[in-house]
Amino acid sequence: MRALTWKWHWPSRNGSLPLSFIILLLTILLMLGSTASLVEVDLVRIFKSTGKLLGFAQQLITIPEWSYLPTLGTKMLETLEIAFLCTTLSLILSLPLGLLAARNSSPHLIVYHISRNLLSLMRALPEIVWALVFVSAVGLGPLPGVMALTFVTTGFMAKIFAESIEVVNSKAIESVAATGSNWLQLVTFAILPEAFPDLISTFFYIIDHNVRAATIIGLVGAGGIGYELVMSLRLFNYSRLMLIMLSIYLIVTILDRLSDQFRKRVI
Amino acid sequence: MVLTWLTTVNLELSFQSVIWGFGDIIDYSKQYLSPNFSEFLKYVKLMGQTLAIALWGTVLSLIVSLILSPLAAKNISPHPIIYQIVRELLNFLRAIPDLVLALIFVSALGLGPLPGLLALGLHTSGFLGKFFAESMERVKPGIYEALKATGASFFQIAMFAAWPSILQEVAGYTLYIFDRNVRVATILGLVGAGGIGLELSATFGFFRYDQASALILIIMITIIVIDYLSIWLRKRIS
Repeated sequence: MRALTWKWHWPSRNGSLPLSFIILLLTILLMLGSTASLVEVDLVRIFKSTGKLLGFAQQLITIPEWSYLPTLGTKMLETLEIAFLCTTLSLILSLPLGLLAARNSSPHLIVYHISRNLLSLMRALPEIVWALVFVSAVGLGPLPGVMALTFVTTGFMAKIFAESIEVVNSKAIESVAATGSNWLQLVTFAILPEAFPDLISTFFYIIDHNVRAATIIGLVGAGGIGYELVMSLRLFNYSRLMLIMLSIYLIVTILDRLSDQFRKRVI
Repeated sequence: MVLTWLTTVNLELSFQSVIWGFGDIIDYSKQYLSPNFSEFLKYVKLMGQTLAIALWGTVLSLIVSLILSPLAAKNISPHPIIYQIVRELLNFLRAIPDLVLALIFVSALGLGPLPGLLALGLHTSGFLGKFFAESMERVKPGIYEALKATGASFFQIAMFAAWPSILQEVAGYTLYIFDRNVRVATILGLVGAGGIGLELSATFGFFRYDQASALILIIMITIIVIDYLSIWLRKRIS
């Protein structure tokens, strides 16, 4: 009986939704409505296709092609290697770039601005677009993939470095410098301890992101499992497809859990 | 360090080929320096479609995640089994890359922006669902207890205590996801799921690098603009 007499009472001043919220809702609905035709949102079509989707799912539940496992293993390893390699490469490359792009360590204001903007540009495009560019430049295979991912990750990492260099406590730097230490000791004892938890967090985020990106860039021929995935889909090779999807899911989930565990221990 | 070397060898990466082929690379890059904007209007329309896909995808994921996240929040979920199942579902949605999901939907629904939008929405609802669930878990338990004490049902707790408490975080996360979705939407076209990606892949396929660079510029500028917008909006909210 209570459900029949229940009124909608929100935690706001007069119990109803705030005006700004309603306006926001209406604006979004308007934007959706005006673009509906542009994206061909067609409920009828969605309903009709659920049948097709279920049929697809049904076909997916077939006997997996066990003989494919070795190739799958190699390809997954390749994917992980691409992700790992480009993370390490960008770590190295982003150190100098980060120094140039930090206001307090950059040699000149113009250099600072140029490097900051350069880094933004490197980050702006999705990895696959860069992968397309590099594949056209150097051919198929994992090399353009590594180049593309390194490119984007360096842009991201260098920005993080630059920001952490900028917020470093100048008092800490002064006190370490006062003991007469050289530049390397300065970095190790004054800058790094403060920046460390952030860096670890960022590192895990980047690895996770790069593994996901590495699984996709194969789609355009840049090495890794993406190529196998799209091929098996196009050839309707469902037994293979299921194995590939499962392995992608497993890898991403394992990485996710690992990084959660690590983060709980370190932070 | 050893790992890096081993990996390089295993991947049979040949950096020498890059150095030897440097002249070719320079020639190749020169083609990018004269962007060809002859089909500008078409590109703009495609970019608009891309943005619309991102918008719809974000709204879809918002709706799905707002429904699923109270179930995935440990302190308000009606039953621990439901909590586990929904959490796993959200993880599953997050693990499958959006492009892969889009590929599957294109096989089922045909080409066009609709499968892309659905794939985007479902994949991102995994992210938003997890974010929102964690936000709901962080809300002061007193708020939930107060409502439980008045005999509120799960649905009422979710709607009047959980969502309103995390509104600011919802806005922040949604903007972040919208930003991300714009980037992904530009790529969805590569698998036929609508937007500017299809055009991009076509220009590369035909080796029309001048057009490709025009497209890349348009994509870059749009993404940078959306980045600034979302940063500004997030500052306004908090």
